[in-house]
Amino acid sequence: MIEIESTTGQLVAELDISRAWLVDPASGREGPGEIVVRDGILEAVTWLDGDEADEARADGVDGTGIVVAPGFIDLHAHFREPGNENAETIATGVAAAAHGGFTTVCLMPNTTPALDEPSVLARVRAAVAATGSPIRVEAYGAVTAGRNGDTLAALGELADAGVVGFSDDGSPVRSASILRNALAYAGSLGLPIVDHPEDSTQTAGAEANDGLVATVLGLRGWPAAAEASAVARDLEILAEVVRDVPGARLHLTHLSTAASIDLVRRAKAAGLPVTCDVTPHHLALTDEWIAGARRWAWEALDDEGDGPGRARNPWHDGATVAAPYDTSLRVNPPLRSAPDAAACLDGLLDGTVDAIATDHAPHSVVDKEVEFGLAANGISGIETALGLVLAAVDAGRLPLGTAIAAFTSGPARLLGTEPGLRQGAPADLVVFDRSSSWTVEPGLLHSRGTNSPVLGRDLVGTVLLTIASGRIAHEDT
Amino acid sequence: MSVAVPDGRTAGAIDDSIEADVAAGAGDPSVPIGDAGSEAARVVVSVPRVDDAPETQGIGWPHRHLLDLDVVTWPEIELVMRTTDAMKEVLARPIPKVPALRGRAVTILFYEASTRTRVSFEVAAKNLSADVVNIAAATSSVTKGESLIDTVRTVEALGADLLVIRHGTSGAPYLAAQHFGGGVLNGGDGWHAHPTQALLDLYTMRARLPGGSLAGRKVVILGDVMHSRVARSNIWALTAAGADLWLCGPSTLLRGFEAWAKAGATAGRTFTVTSDVADALRDADVVMALRIQQERMEGGLLPSLREYAARYGLTRARLANAKPDALVMHPGPMNEGVEIAPDVATMDRSVITDQVSNGVAVRMALLYLMAGVRTGAAKSGASVAFGPAGRNEAPA
Repeated sequence: MIEIESTTGQLVAELDISRAWLVDPASGREGPGEIVVRDGILEAVTWLDGDEADEARADGVDGTGIVVAPGFIDLHAHFREPGNENAETIATGVAAAAHGGFTTVCLMPNTTPALDEPSVLARVRAAVAATGSPIRVEAYGAVTAGRNGDTLAALGELADAGVVGFSDDGSPVRSASILRNALAYAGSLGLPIVDHPEDSTQTAGAEANDGLVATVLGLRGWPAAAEASAVARDLEILAEVVRDVPGARLHLTHLSTAASIDLVRRAKAAGLPVTCDVTPHHLALTDEWIAGARRWAWEALDDEGDGPGRARNPWHDGATVAAPYDTSLRVNPPLRSAPDAAACLDGLLDGTVDAIATDHAPHSVVDKEVEFGLAANGISGIETALGLVLAAVDAGRLPLGTAIAAFTSGPARLLGTEPGLRQGAPADLVVFDRSSSWTVEPGLLHSRGTNSPVLGRDLVGTVLLTIASGRIAHEDT
Repeated sequence: MSVAVPDGRTAGAIDDSIEADVAAGAGDPSVPIGDAGSEAARVVVSVPRVDDAPETQGIGWPHRHLLDLDVVTWPEIELVMRTTDAMKEVLARPIPKVPALRGRAVTILFYEASTRTRVSFEVAAKNLSADVVNIAAATSSVTKGESLIDTVRTVEALGADLLVIRHGTSGAPYLAAQHFGGGVLNGGDGWHAHPTQALLDLYTMRARLPGGSLAGRKVVILGDVMHSRVARSNIWALTAAGADLWLCGPSTLLRGFEAWAKAGATAGRTFTVTSDVADALRDADVVMALRIQQERMEGGLLPSLREYAARYGLTRARLANAKPDALVMHPGPMNEGVEIAPDVATMDRSVITDQVSNGVAVRMALLYLMAGVRTGAAKSGASVAFGPAGRNEAPA
């Protein structure tokens, strides 16, 4: 039951949602209830108790229908402005984010020019302001000047200007020595280094996860070890730096392999200040999609018997139903095997993985409608993130509360914010309907990037409403 | 003897049925060899009258495109083999030409240097009286930055019915197929597939092996397997044919294939991967050497060509481990003195020149069969209908 008075972009005059399933990771609470927003302020959050709650559950308010949660936070997105506005602009990017249920987005600095000094940040902020959208847009500064890997960018000036961390994403911080200095310098500024872990000497020309699919399709293999060895390097350096600089922090983005997740698990157990995220596509899709399979990662996992399970063979069980070599599946890091995807899910379940980040990477058709080996890496995913993750929830692989936490409180820890359904604060929330699905079509995407591997597919969890700073950012019509 | 050809695929063409004995050789006749793994079957195929145009007959060939062999069924391979026999007969005539594809246009679009494959396709198409256009990418507007899709659309607009494409990027013919209204024949894509080569290899082996069957025969593919589209397409064809297939080379050039062998090419049909050349060659019936390219040294895959030749080169001494009458093959072009000794390449039991001449007949057969598939429905710009299992079937 949703009643609303207002129009998109304006302050919510009055919103009353009753008989909804509320999820509040800040308080760890989840259950049937009601919210009221008046003049942009979350005026009331009412949790049903006892008999009332039981009645509501019996009546179908059990988490499978309308869900209200704090607005999602994306730690990793590319809006391509300045420099590649054919692929995305800040305006189309924030609209896409709102459509995906996100109220906060952290942009990577691999624009042209790179965001390596404050004037580029000012340019981005001006573009954000011009959209009039209430979505909060944060940015990372580059670790190295021009992202060239050689010399540090203007870290202190960027920190003063308000970046939320530093990253050379798109590339790793190649030099271990530069990484060491960056961790120390950024640590003293109270900001994390966000590394894209990849040993590029192992991935020159690589096209697909090194495995059966790459071998059969004749694609250059992208070894799991190229990621895990970079993760191991980063963690060893962090362990040393943090002795001298207690504020040093490392965030590893878009981990995709079982080995990397395991390394982070052990580092966390040893008390290192490390956090990490995984993407929706590495949770839900696998490399067999490149061969034409179209089943979810957990359906491609043969996990009978002991151990972590093995990937099923798509050529043996008739799973190849689409044309192979779809370039929308080309991404860095590559889609991995079913056991790797399962390890990413396990990392979310046991707290090793802090956040789900989209790595939203829109590309123009010019860069994607080409031969697989020539296509740009990246998936346009900010609008389909919730649907992919809810597919795992529907399959019983991930509790709803854990999924929501990975979209909200988990990423908030990196930013030092505290999202929640808090009475008296400006409303910042997403309302979606798990019982409703939508077909992903180019015309429905707000992003300029239609490079989505789930085009044409039905995804559950239509976002009905996204409210940021008390204002409507997206409303399903 | 049941005819395991799907409905409607035999009508009208059966004036020369041949019962093909592929006992203990072929997989399930109704399932693509990439999916299947069942036991022996006897199949009946109807050989088309290749003097006549293909569209005047009901030919049991449903594939609008031939991109790789994983989606082809065993009876379809058998049909290619028998049609190739018919083409061999044409080639033996005083005037080795039939009017079957008169008025049909075949465009040969090669993005990589090639002599034998390109010329082989050209001769094949001309022997069928097709009009042939050759496009070498280096001399086309590709060098001006034209995309593959644009080139393919242009080729179609210029009237091509069939497109033969070779490309250095794995999977490129699949992209072409999605934007071309006619049929696409893969002439080799990156490391991925070279289906016409695998079919001519199969034809050549069957023609020369006693009994004409690959069942239980030990076939060794020796050399740079990792970068080889010939090896990959032969894995589908030879495992389906029941051969005891061995892949041999330095372990750096076998990367990934051990896992493929463990998984099995088709369920229940695996192959053997080894770096031990003596083990591989022991009692072999067929030895196929693959080209070693100089550029492979750069990534540290091999210490030197000299070391490769010494350890893996196909010499008379090494060949002595194989059966006395073992066939010697090579898809070409050869680096004599590296992967194959010059005197081995020209031995009596070398069938390397047979491979070249059979290549023309096999490509005639494929062009003929594909020209018989109706593609008119897709001329309006509709993309390829990839059915279940990625099969590239003709639109209904």
